[in-house]
Amino acid sequence: MHIPDSFIPLTQAIVYWVIAIPFIFMSMKWAKNELDEMKVPVLAALAAGIFAIQAMNIPIGMGTSGHMVGATLVAIVFGSPWAGVLVLTLVLLVQGFAFGDGGITTMGANILNMGIISGFVGYYTYVALRKSTGTSIAALGGAWLGLFISAIVCAVQMYIAGTFPLREGLIAMGTYHLIIGFIGEGLITAVVITAIAKSRPDLLEDNFTVRPEKSKKEAHA
Amino acid sequence: MSGKSNMKFFYLGIVIALLLSVLAPFLASPDPDGLESAAGGVIEESKMSELEEMEPALSSPMPDYSIEGMGKGGEVMAIAIGTIAVLAISFGLGKVFNKKA
Repeated sequence: MHIPDSFIPLTQAIVYWVIAIPFIFMSMKWAKNELDEMKVPVLAALAAGIFAIQAMNIPIGMGTSGHMVGATLVAIVFGSPWAGVLVLTLVLLVQGFAFGDGGITTMGANILNMGIISGFVGYYTYVALRKSTGTSIAALGGAWLGLFISAIVCAVQMYIAGTFPLREGLIAMGTYHLIIGFIGEGLITAVVITAIAKSRPDLLEDNFTVRPEKSKKEAHA
Repeated sequence: MSGKSNMKFFYLGIVIALLLSVLAPFLASPDPDGLESAAGGVIEESKMSELEEMEPALSSPMPDYSIEGMGKGGEVMAIAIGTIAVLAISFGLGKVFNKKA
């Protein structure tokens, strides 16, 4: 879903940067307040893993492929959507500057879609689902919806940019990302979160797996 | 959280990421991704070729995760370089923020 430079006119691309920058700033603030010696290696390992897995496009039929985005996964592990914004910003920076994957002018839009929208929708859907279902189903649902909504927003951006017609764009982006969201995002997020919940439940900063009588802050103290 | 086992997680993450870097050039689907595929379907042909001809705002050293003249080996290397760069940047950034706190 990496938007190239040519798909959005410069003025609009700047608007998406302006929207994304405060979120990037907040994600750095999150890092400053929350990261400690224990969490830095986890963050770095997840960031590297997400960069690599984004190179692994999975065929979804219809002559189309898709890959995981990963913002929801990072947000669930750290119990904060800001972690997802931070990691996706770093990944998109390297992808854009070193590999031409996603434009430089459109990087703001890409950070907005893949880091902010998919991470926030994914994480808060997970939190809502987690109240009534298990970790794996909630992770699958959150990651799936997060990716799908970000693709819908992307289709609307493409319409505003004059690149896609609205209806056809929504149908095509929606159809492909409903499938990519289930396989590439939902299933992988569910498998990884479930594996972490089983082997390292202490790593998940999620109030459901941490002792409930302790607040989040106390549990880390 | 124990520091020792988090380092285990760190090394496991690196191993998985590098394994993906090696496998991706061979296993990843060459089909266009969702956005490119949608673009191919909904944009008129003449406009599409116009968009494709436009140069990116900045030319990148390893476009499309490849190194010129190095084939699949170059792709493996490009993705591995990217993986290590992301690892180093996030680790470095984490350390900087950690020190300030």
